[in-house]
Amino acid sequence: MHSDRNEIVALELRDLSKTYGRGAKAKRAVSDVTLSVRCGEVYGFLGPNGAGKSTTIRMALGLIRPTSGQVRLFGSEVTDRDALGRVGSLVDGGTFYPFLSGRDNLRVLARTRGIDGWRTEEVLERVDLTRDAKRKFKGYSTGMKQRLGVAAALLDDPDLVILDEPANGLDAAGIQDMRKLIRALADEGKAVFLCSHLLHEVQQVCDRLAIVSKGRLIREAGTAELLGTSLRLTIEARPMDAALKVLETRRPIAAPSGHIAVEGTSEEAPAIVRELVAAGVDVFRIAAEEQNLEKVFLEMTSDPND
Amino acid sequence: MIDAVAAEALKMRRHRGTWLMVWIFPIAIFLIALASLVYYQFAPASPPADPQSAAAWIADSTIFWRAPGSAPGRILIAGFSALLFAGEYSWNTWKLIIPARKRWQLVVAKWAVAVGFVFAAFALTDLISLTTEWLRSLQGSAIPEGVTLSGILAAHARAAAYALLPIAYATAFATLFAVLTRSILATVIISIGLVILEGMLGLLGVFFHARAPDLTRFLIETLPPYHMLNLIEWANRKAGLVSPLGPDASVALSWTTSLIALLAWIGLAMAVTLVRFSRQDLN
Repeated sequence: MHSDRNEIVALELRDLSKTYGRGAKAKRAVSDVTLSVRCGEVYGFLGPNGAGKSTTIRMALGLIRPTSGQVRLFGSEVTDRDALGRVGSLVDGGTFYPFLSGRDNLRVLARTRGIDGWRTEEVLERVDLTRDAKRKFKGYSTGMKQRLGVAAALLDDPDLVILDEPANGLDAAGIQDMRKLIRALADEGKAVFLCSHLLHEVQQVCDRLAIVSKGRLIREAGTAELLGTSLRLTIEARPMDAALKVLETRRPIAAPSGHIAVEGTSEEAPAIVRELVAAGVDVFRIAAEEQNLEKVFLEMTSDPND
Repeated sequence: MIDAVAAEALKMRRHRGTWLMVWIFPIAIFLIALASLVYYQFAPASPPADPQSAAAWIADSTIFWRAPGSAPGRILIAGFSALLFAGEYSWNTWKLIIPARKRWQLVVAKWAVAVGFVFAAFALTDLISLTTEWLRSLQGSAIPEGVTLSGILAAHARAAAYALLPIAYATAFATLFAVLTRSILATVIISIGLVILEGMLGLLGVFFHARAPDLTRFLIETLPPYHMLNLIEWANRKAGLVSPLGPDASVALSWTTSLIALLAWIGLAMAVTLVRFSRQDLN
């Protein structure tokens, strides 16, 4: 039953593009982004500032009309209210009516959605905001605003949760709670589309990742795959020239420290050692260089012209 | 749909702007009425005033329903509509509620609350005013003979019906300006400009008629300001507005013509608002 649910595609973007302005002033914010998010997974959407993440999220929520391409929610057009009713979102760190209390803001949202207000207390409890629910929103700290935003996203028990920078303004404990909450949502079978610049958090919580740069999706893969394929092996071997020749097909880089770096996983290390030894090269050390998402992200999104 | 209206009402009922621009009418009248009752209770008896006819007394008692058509009334209504619509841009909250409901439903709910709140405020003002008159009669200020409850109800129902038009007109255009400018301040400024321009209609008509008579007549007979003023005149004086354009030229249209023209303009403003808003990108 659970696995059946995990086959459901909650969000699908097909060749999604958005251009602002016309003629010479036209600026392409998003170019042909195609991706899909399934129920039960946390999907990370990463990119540097101005990469088009927010524009993509706004198109997914029907706030912005795409110039071309399609947004499908649970197989329906984004204009389908029933489909959009299954989506909860946090954008811009939680935008609410400053003159209303946290609780009244949720009541207004519940009414607008046409649902009972009974879930208001439940979601306030879930984001640990019950004690401050009476206070006016304008008096909230950044973290409290963020948590109210998450509460609003969960108000209608959505099947797809879109979170744009949910950990912004949270302290260490808050970030940890947020991580647990996101994981719990996915474990409940919900699809979570997570946009965050806290790469360490994303690495820990996401099942799949997409990296966007300058409006284009440049890589989409499982988190483990993305980190795994980018593994590097550092080799200390003599003579260096002979070692470089043997490793030629693996695009070796000779570091000034006397090490050679090649692309490869730790599973490939024994084969590499055998190749080198067979060619009469002495191998003193071979080690897998741990990759983290930050490194991968920076490599993928760095501009060679900079 | 009822939920959307209830949400809007829940949101706006306690906003400071609602108190300042809508609830101010019944509150001000209540305070004035209270002060007058206290004053007449303790003031020395004054010689009786000339008796008023029942018809004149009833007509005078509907005075508060004329406020929505007055310049200050329309500016306050426009201000409240600006708060209701452009406020969502200022607070950045469209993106909170747009995924929750169809855009046209959100706009219609806001119209309902704008017109509903303003109408309720004037109805309450009217009720306070009538109650005050009745209390004054207990203090010795006689209600003319011939004034009946049915007469009062009929006159007030008619006055309330007439008041709906300026309320809808001010709301529809303020909404349009709010959606186009996305700013409370800009909406209020444009609305005030429109009211001032309408006040200068007579002068402008005479000035431009001397230079371009046909175009001036066409514009006056087509654009909404004359029709709004004409209907207010019909409501207040049972006679239409004659807007002189020159020595031998004037505009004087029937109330049905003005009603149709004004309804068309209100409908057009609402339609443009809906179309514009439904295609608007909200970053």
